[in-house]
Amino acid sequence: MADVLRVPQVRPVQPALRFLRVIPGVLLLAVVGYAGKLLEQNVGAYAKAHHWTFPNIEYVLWAIVLGLVISNTVGVPEIFRTGVATYEFWLKAGIVLLGARFLLGDILKLGGVSLVLVAIEIAGSLAFMTFLGRLFKLKPKLTTLLAIGSAVCGVSAIIATKGAIEADDEDSSFSIAAILALGALALFTFPLIGHALHLSDHAYGLWAGLGVDNTAEATAAGALYSDAAGKLAVLVKSTRNAMIGFVVLAYAIYWASKGQAQAVGNKAAFLWQKFPKFVLGFLLISVLATYHFFNKDQIGALANLSRWAFLLTFAGVGLRTNFGELRKQGLRPFAVGAIGEVVIAGFTLALVYGASKIFGW
Amino acid sequence: MSEEAVGAGTGSRWKLSLDTWAVLVAFLLALLVRTGVFKHVPW
Repeated sequence: MADVLRVPQVRPVQPALRFLRVIPGVLLLAVVGYAGKLLEQNVGAYAKAHHWTFPNIEYVLWAIVLGLVISNTVGVPEIFRTGVATYEFWLKAGIVLLGARFLLGDILKLGGVSLVLVAIEIAGSLAFMTFLGRLFKLKPKLTTLLAIGSAVCGVSAIIATKGAIEADDEDSSFSIAAILALGALALFTFPLIGHALHLSDHAYGLWAGLGVDNTAEATAAGALYSDAAGKLAVLVKSTRNAMIGFVVLAYAIYWASKGQAQAVGNKAAFLWQKFPKFVLGFLLISVLATYHFFNKDQIGALANLSRWAFLLTFAGVGLRTNFGELRKQGLRPFAVGAIGEVVIAGFTLALVYGASKIFGW
Repeated sequence: MSEEAVGAGTGSRWKLSLDTWAVLVAFLLALLVRTGVFKHVPW
């Protein structure tokens, strides 16, 4: 699994040495991301100059595709892996900085609507994935991990749940592999479906935030459609992420009641430990922006810093996805995940359509 | 969110999660923008 997740092993090393070890990989993220940005600018201009019909491909897709090509051909050498694994750090820093582009009133309004949709999505996804897991006779804890990964927030939710319900390493590897592979597919299918259905930026952003599981892929899938859709996808996905503690706590209590996990002592401390702190950072920055702590130029600068952070993230999404490694994890959990994801994508699309009709989006 | 995915650690009781580091770095950048150290960030 280490090849898929590329999370560095815990070793007691000096902070300075640890910092040095991330530099090659971060530079690789920057080179791949910036190459994606250059390709976006130059390929379109070249095609136009030669009167070719060529779709305008955003830097997001170029960066992901370049990363995928490197990861699945020559591979990512060991020296870069620690730094490439920082893509999740850049994602979260980028989301916090993105908060400057939201006014608190918008967050409360959109967050309120998305909270209702998220609650319906989580309940529906958990129920359906549990049903599918039983139908395919998967191990119960593997089913729990797949259900939480699909319903809440992908890899982070699976890692958080693994410890709480004392699941096997193998089960969490299966679940993470399935969620990552399906997230990679969603990157390419969601924008195509969105355009085919002529979804508005608002409706598509909501759908990407609800339907794509991993935060990095949800952010990328939104940004691939439009800037406005990307903003909304991040907001909805962050609302889902905020639910992680409650869902993991419920499952931890369930498995402890069956004598197959340790009982949860202090529930408030458990919730705080699992709560995604970057959601609080995102809210705090938007409060500061709402009360004019930053002027217009400064908000523009923060938005651009957020874009640079996402650029590194998107390069990392491609670089850490190795289809060969994902294939080794087995077919059955992947099949359950795939069926579940298709149904959840359809279900969340129907939810968004319903909400669009009610709220006139 | 994923405290387990913090990365290499020293076992210190003050070890911060990946999320917390991301928030701290983002706020540091916001402070540098607010104080005019970063006047213009190109894209």
